Amino acid sequence: MAAGYLDRQLNIADYALGGLTRRLGRNLVVVLVFGLVIFMVASFSLTTTSLKHAASQVLTTVPDITVQQMSAGRQVAFSANAAKELESIFGIRSVQPRVWGYYFDENNGANYTVIGVPNLGDETPLAGLGIDFHPNLETAEAFEPAIIGRGVRENLELGDRRAFSLFRPDLSLKSFVSSGTFNAETSMVTDDLIIMDLDAARDLFGVPGDAITDLLVDVANPLEIDTIADKISARLEGVRVVTRERIGKTYRVAFGWRSGFGLACLFGAVAAFFIFAWDKASGLTPAQQQEVAILKVLGWQTEDIITLRFWESVIISISAFGLGYLAAWIHLLFFNGLLFRPVLLGWSVVKPPLSLVPVFSFADLLIIFSLSILPYLAATVIPAWHSATIRPDSVI
Amino acid sequence: MKIELQAVEKYYNRGEPNQVHALRAIDLSIDSNETICIHGPSGSGKSTLLAILGGIIGPTSGSAVVDGRKLARLPDRFLTLYRRQHIGFIFQRFRLIPELSVLENITLPLLPLGTRPAERKRRGLELLKRLEIDHRGDFLAAEISGGELQRAAVARALISDPSIIIADEPTAHLDTRLSEDFLSIMAELKNLGKTIIIASHDPLVSENPIVDRCFYLRDGRLRAVTGPQ
Repeated sequence: MAAGYLDRQLNIADYALGGLTRRLGRNLVVVLVFGLVIFMVASFSLTTTSLKHAASQVLTTVPDITVQQMSAGRQVAFSANAAKELESIFGIRSVQPRVWGYYFDENNGANYTVIGVPNLGDETPLAGLGIDFHPNLETAEAFEPAIIGRGVRENLELGDRRAFSLFRPDLSLKSFVSSGTFNAETSMVTDDLIIMDLDAARDLFGVPGDAITDLLVDVANPLEIDTIADKISARLEGVRVVTRERIGKTYRVAFGWRSGFGLACLFGAVAAFFIFAWDKASGLTPAQQQEVAILKVLGWQTEDIITLRFWESVIISISAFGLGYLAAWIHLLFFNGLLFRPVLLGWSVVKPPLSLVPVFSFADLLIIFSLSILPYLAATVIPAWHSATIRPDSVI
Repeated sequence: MKIELQAVEKYYNRGEPNQVHALRAIDLSIDSNETICIHGPSGSGKSTLLAILGGIIGPTSGSAVVDGRKLARLPDRFLTLYRRQHIGFIFQRFRLIPELSVLENITLPLLPLGTRPAERKRRGLELLKRLEIDHRGDFLAAEISGGELQRAAVARALISDPSIIIADEPTAHLDTRLSEDFLSIMAELKNLGKTIIIASHDPLVSENPIVDRCFYLRDGRLRAVTGPQ
């Protein structure tokens, strides 16, 4: 019984495939248009997932709590001694000072983000960002080691060279040697980044002796982060306390809102396609109508004709899904999400070139599958039933 | 299989300005292994009568009984089953699907039965060989001659081994030699015990010795002109 049912399904599916091939031109249009719609939706989804993944990767390197001094609503440098005030709070594992600033490269018209940390190297939290360390190089003591982003390397036109210089505020030059380069996966935030030793950063920016811009707090128990953040706020006057969760939320809201907006715009295209699919499925040619009537005279049940149309729709939608989804991956892998990156990252901010790393998400695949193939089958089921009720005596 | 029509009336568009009274008070009884011919001018109701006998449409009133089962009372699903199991149709213009090969065309009735491809091919080729067109099996229906088309149509009608063959004007588009070929095939089928119903205004058919009885249909009324009344 089950074997007979399966054989019947296979026979009808095979006949459906043959029928689609016979009307290749007409069906190819449907597959291409449907594939384009799926490509747009899948591209958008894949790009969003990749951006979120890149953001979440960056977040792993963000400290549990960042403390900044505010004055008149702006961030200002403050004394590293503030760290001592925090060390006595129970639950804090470590407190690290940091100098964070922006360096404007007049020659290239580019802004670099400069971060000064103690103990530059593998042990720093920034190591998690993915750094390709260069072999040790004998350099003069005046050359400070620095880890730089790919964009910085390109802007400074370093090529194979590793030494470079930046201007202090008094226009004297400070020399650096690149000890490592951030890899492409995190380029969303590391492309314009220069990481150096804390004192080197102070020297570059002309920041006085013990001044810093942030304190990075590492908390022993992740469940205590909010409590400790409150305690820090209470203990240090006029500080801004930012938790990792809050930064993550900012990313999610930004990408979530933009991807939602983008998907809403694409919904119009999707809806238009389903109307198109309905219209195509409804409009049987006289030859197709005659074919249905012949099949019914030959003993095909109405449900067999509906099954035939169902298999046609399945073949069309699966082909279009495969085509569109594959094109979306190619778009992301080889064209770096060119079409939708501006929508998701925004146009108003000049962003460094970002190499998106595709992330496979089964949930996303399932959502795209459900939002494309199931509505297509639904859109074609009534026309299929309508075509199946053609009277067989029309061919007599 | 015995077929009986009693007081069959058929209207199209009944009660509307374009009403057609296609069949009037038809009484007809066809025995198993009998060959009958129905002839009459175009528009006389021959195709409608065949459609009722073949379970494609039901009568407006009266009854069509096949082996004790009233066709008019069967729902569409069971009428299809009846056609699938008992009826082999040969259409006036053969009605093969031109984009399919001859073999694909003749095995179409087997697809919803779940017959596997190898078995379909075996049965199809066997029939094509019997009808001497096995060399045309892989040709598209659009590519073969009228005579071959007709044999392919016969093969398709026989693929499910039905007990009743219904042919609507099967020689209308054939020359004399091909018409005689067709009738010799029908003679073979008659020898195999099939019931054959042919609608034709071709004297070659109505006067052929295989025909047991011949009926004349005009303006929807049927009268026997040869054989027992």
